Amino acid sequence: MNLTKDRFGGLLFLLLSVTYGYYAADIPLLPRDKFEPFHAQTMPYWLSGLGVIFSILLIVLKPATVAENEPLLKSNILLMLGLMAFTFIFSVVLPWLGFPITTSLFLASSYWLLGERRIKILVFASVPFALIFWLLLTQVLDVYIAPARLIFW
Amino acid sequence: MFEGIFTGLSTALMPFNLMMVVVGCFAGTFIGMLPGLGPISAVALMIPITYTLDPSSGIILMAGVYYGAVFGGSTSSILINAPGCASTLVTTFDGYPLAQKNQAGKALALAAYASFCGGTVGAIILIFAAPALASVSLSFQSSDYFALMLLGLTSVAAFAGKGQVIKAMMMTVFGLMIATVGNDVITGAPRYTFGQMDLVDGISFLLLAMATFALAEVMMTILRGNMFSTSETMKPVALSSMKLSRSEIKEVAPTVARSSVFGFIVGVLPGAGATIASFLAYGLERNLAPERLRKMFGKGALRGLAAPEAANNAASTGSFVPLLTLGIPGSGTTAIMLGALIAYGIQPGPRLYVDHPDVFWSVIISMYFGNLVLLILNLPLIPYISRLLSIPPQILNPLIIFFSIIGVYLVSFNTFDIQMMVFITLIAVGLKFLNFPMAPMLLGFILGGMLEKNLSRALVVSDGSFNFLWNRPLTLTITCITLVILFLPSLLKLGRQMGVKMMSAAD
Repeated sequence: MNLTKDRFGGLLFLLLSVTYGYYAADIPLLPRDKFEPFHAQTMPYWLSGLGVIFSILLIVLKPATVAENEPLLKSNILLMLGLMAFTFIFSVVLPWLGFPITTSLFLASSYWLLGERRIKILVFASVPFALIFWLLLTQVLDVYIAPARLIFW
Repeated sequence: MFEGIFTGLSTALMPFNLMMVVVGCFAGTFIGMLPGLGPISAVALMIPITYTLDPSSGIILMAGVYYGAVFGGSTSSILINAPGCASTLVTTFDGYPLAQKNQAGKALALAAYASFCGGTVGAIILIFAAPALASVSLSFQSSDYFALMLLGLTSVAAFAGKGQVIKAMMMTVFGLMIATVGNDVITGAPRYTFGQMDLVDGISFLLLAMATFALAEVMMTILRGNMFSTSETMKPVALSSMKLSRSEIKEVAPTVARSSVFGFIVGVLPGAGATIASFLAYGLERNLAPERLRKMFGKGALRGLAAPEAANNAASTGSFVPLLTLGIPGSGTTAIMLGALIAYGIQPGPRLYVDHPDVFWSVIISMYFGNLVLLILNLPLIPYISRLLSIPPQILNPLIIFFSIIGVYLVSFNTFDIQMMVFITLIAVGLKFLNFPMAPMLLGFILGGMLEKNLSRALVVSDGSFNFLWNRPLTLTITCITLVILFLPSLLKLGRQMGVKMMSAAD
């Protein structure tokens, strides 16, 4: 039995379903719940069971002939992970540097990561955009955006 | 009913709502044109904006975006042979060959006229079909609702495509699992929160929709390396005259009429949606066409372009029937709209017709306006809108990422949500790479809470017995339909195999 993409997915889902079912026991119940036909643990247990059944079916059944994806380039994977990392950093830095600075930095660095090297574009497609968007939110739409903690300490 | 239509007309005709239709159609056309981003992503990107509007305006904006995105998808299919979404894939079969014959303008005009007719026929049938179904469904009980939700979830999985059914079922279960995160709606017990206060309210629908559709789609574009080819090889072809001759109109008119009605019927079926409608309509027209015209299919046949365009727009309208009347979305896009309506505190379903007639009717009426806007405003502006395709992808993709994350942040003002988005996007990309469909997951997530509530009620009423599934004729009928949809493909396959064996034995 080859470890095809489908079977690998099935194994992952089996693991998830078993773990999900295991943690269902941690859901606190009310004293009378044990005598009720349906309580907070019922659905999770059923879903866990269904998940296990479908995973086993996917692992055991003959895999369908679905067109294989083209192999991914390592450089593209790194680009994607880089963008995800920038997004994560954006969420961490946002409260400290504030909306306009964080957004400008996020956009400029993302453009750069995806191959834009012209300084003019890096600056003009990020800083004015961030400022206009910030003004639109705070002045036109009256949305409150917390000021930067580092600047207004 | 006419009172409701007038209420809808007066709401839809309010200048602000008319503006929402126009804005929605433009935004949808632009987003739908971008290869990889379809109506689901377009509607998901609009949700944060709709939170600041009243329910009617919000849903009108989303309906406009939906139509616009389908239209935008057709435009990119015709101009650059890159369908913006699955439902416009068939449009490339004859649309792009027409564009290559220097008839891009004619192809775009025909697509717009066919879409307009499809949408109009759909909207007219919807005006009569939706209230009729809504009044019937007023007698539904919790057992019927449970059976209906099961039907919706099953049919989305059953229509997932060859070899994808089990995966779609798994993704539905995965969506239901995610829906259980947070405090239990019935007892208030915390489930799968792992002591995190940020998870007590569960995972936000908007966060999940943005992460799995908008963000994950951009990431997949980058992973596949498509963004580098967009600007170099996908140059839009030049537009030509947009006029259709009288004989050409005569040729496609019956096709458009047939495909519109056919598309609407397919769209009403939960899970079938615009993609299947467009493929079926194309196949139907090819079979009906005389030998001379059949040879033209795939080489720039006008009928081959008109059929899927009329069908996918009519199906988009049709998919609103189960959403508005039963509270069960017929497609991934309407699933997102369902989530948005629930966020407004409006529960789509039979009561929507009674409790919020303004929302119910204004959505239906604004669909028609949406079609008009696409025809009158968008079509002449296509040469200008298509220039947006020339925005370099290294600029466009970070902007889409930014709008996705900031849309979620501006609703909760919690940076934990952005971190959660990153985590979910990575999982979604992994699942997409393993060819797992995302729409069933989102549908499972949205219906999860309601499914559990109705199942709990039905089980309490029947004292813990599952006989509620066959005690009421209506529940029994829906359960039987669910089973038929689930097992019909396997039974047909088995029948075919047995037939082949018997034939070979007879030989």
